[in-house]
Amino acid sequence: MRSEGMGRPLVLLALLCLAAVLASVSVGSSTVSVGSLVSVLTGNGSELERTLILELRLPRTLSALATGGLLAVAGALMQVLLRNPLADPYVLGLSGGAAAGALLAMLAGLASVLVSGAAFAGAMVATLLVFGLAHGRGSWTASRLLLTGVVMAAGWGALITLLLALTPTHKLPGMLYWLMGDIAYAGSPWPALAVLVLALLLVQPLGRSLNVLARGSLQAAALGVNVRPLEWAIYLLASLITATAVTTAGSIGFVGLIVPHMLRFVVGNDQRLLLPASALAGGTLLVLADALARTVIAPEQLPVGVITALIGVPVFLYLLNRRGA
Amino acid sequence: MITVVAGLEVALTMSVAAADLCAIDALDRNICLPEPAERVVSLSPGATELLFSAGAGAKLVAASAWSDYPSQASELPRVGDSNRLDLEAILSLAPDLVVAWVDGNPRSQLDKLSALGLPVYWLAPRDFSDIARAVENLGQLTGTPERAAGRVEQFRNGLASLARQYRGARPVRVFFQIWDQPLMTINRDELISKTIELCGGRNVFGHLPRLVPRVSIEAVLEANPEVIVTAGEAGGGSRQWLDDWKQFPQLTAVQAGNLFLEPPDLLARATLRTLEGAQHLCQTLERARNAL
Repeated sequence: MRSEGMGRPLVLLALLCLAAVLASVSVGSSTVSVGSLVSVLTGNGSELERTLILELRLPRTLSALATGGLLAVAGALMQVLLRNPLADPYVLGLSGGAAAGALLAMLAGLASVLVSGAAFAGAMVATLLVFGLAHGRGSWTASRLLLTGVVMAAGWGALITLLLALTPTHKLPGMLYWLMGDIAYAGSPWPALAVLVLALLLVQPLGRSLNVLARGSLQAAALGVNVRPLEWAIYLLASLITATAVTTAGSIGFVGLIVPHMLRFVVGNDQRLLLPASALAGGTLLVLADALARTVIAPEQLPVGVITALIGVPVFLYLLNRRGA
Repeated sequence: MITVVAGLEVALTMSVAAADLCAIDALDRNICLPEPAERVVSLSPGATELLFSAGAGAKLVAASAWSDYPSQASELPRVGDSNRLDLEAILSLAPDLVVAWVDGNPRSQLDKLSALGLPVYWLAPRDFSDIARAVENLGQLTGTPERAAGRVEQFRNGLASLARQYRGARPVRVFFQIWDQPLMTINRDELISKTIELCGGRNVFGHLPRLVPRVSIEAVLEANPEVIVTAGEAGGGSRQWLDDWKQFPQLTAVQAGNLFLEPPDLLARATLRTLEGAQHLCQTLERARNAL
């Protein structure tokens, strides 16, 4: 009964996700028909179509899928950890640290692999700083963690503005696009996909404890959950997931905040279902948004973050109103 | 009302008559000076270069950051970056002419200088004739019109001879890469695209609506340019951008080995050096043409 109830939404979401991936590899500057899509996937098709689909669109689509999934899962975890509906993967300043790292690398004129590395390092520095400062002496609470993170985020924001102000004009476009988030230059999608699968496997056994924790740490402690180690584990895991996403595609907003909320309206707040569903729905949203970003004014390209918000806001408001009615 | 307008016209005519040193700037304003400017502040690297070309280099008392050509320009005192100017520094230098740049300088900030009575001459060079006129006008305002006219004549003659040389050349399809991440190019209104046309090239993205459009790799593969050119990042090191295209061997440009790195500084700014840049680019496109 239980597993049947959880299975249906996941199967539906997986089908949606597959449809989005297929749509995404079919569209672009030139749209590929279903027939030629099939022939390319079975190893035939013209050389141009093969290059377009297999070397450009498929890796990019998989990167979008992984990034969207990672962000949504990280957002869901942060919302449980901080028991704050406004929490998203970036609320504790992680994207700021990553951006500062990436911008410094760009300012130094480093190659793009090193820029990604610097972003990951920046994200980890931000994570450990918040961890150390919120850990400190004295009692530890979710609100102390939240405040520490928010203040650190403000600090990173100022540092980023300073870096942009000191940057020669010709280097600015690359930096601004990085800050807006962009999947166009993601490298191989496999590391991000692997992190996503690993993270889901890791949190699955914690589902019951997470459900209890979502109701408050006192209740959780009363019910025998070892709260503090669990909270730190969630924090570090969510940070690693977010750092992977940011390293893949820059800081793409909105997905991590909205997708878990949307799913709560639809499937409820059982973390055992919510987390895998977030991965699928987040991935689907970003795949669709990226497909639109590539095609709306093709051959020109839009930043994907614009589209995630343009799709997500009306869908979210619709679900919110439907629930309220 | 009519009398006021008439009065203004009289005043305007009188002031024009009183001073011979007038020039119309890119905002269509007539800038008149009572005598040749002696203390000039330049607010963009391009403006600095144009002032030196006009023979006013010795009259420059300060320039904006990144003014690095000619080499004497590097030693000028700075008044901030093009888009964040230090108004106090500009005022304290007591300039009698400020040369501003429409696409880079903040208009509202400089309108304060105009309101304080400082003559501000705005530049917006979009094509070769704008560049030539800017040098002539700056020469006029700084009292070296003959010197400026000489440089401008060389510039115009050089361009005319390129135009003659490549008028009948077989057109080649060119993709000009401005940046790699994000991948950016230029449309037909950009000066570089006009230079490509001059050399008998066709910009494959000339038709796009925005001046500096961001395009996808897909779009480049579809356009299948015969030549890919970049001037790279100032300071060089962009050979990698060109090498990256080699992973798409179906591109005509890759098959023909037509991946070219142009000198970064010659095409970047709308100044008299664009002639040199054009000569270089025309030779490059001719090599590409012969390789096809």
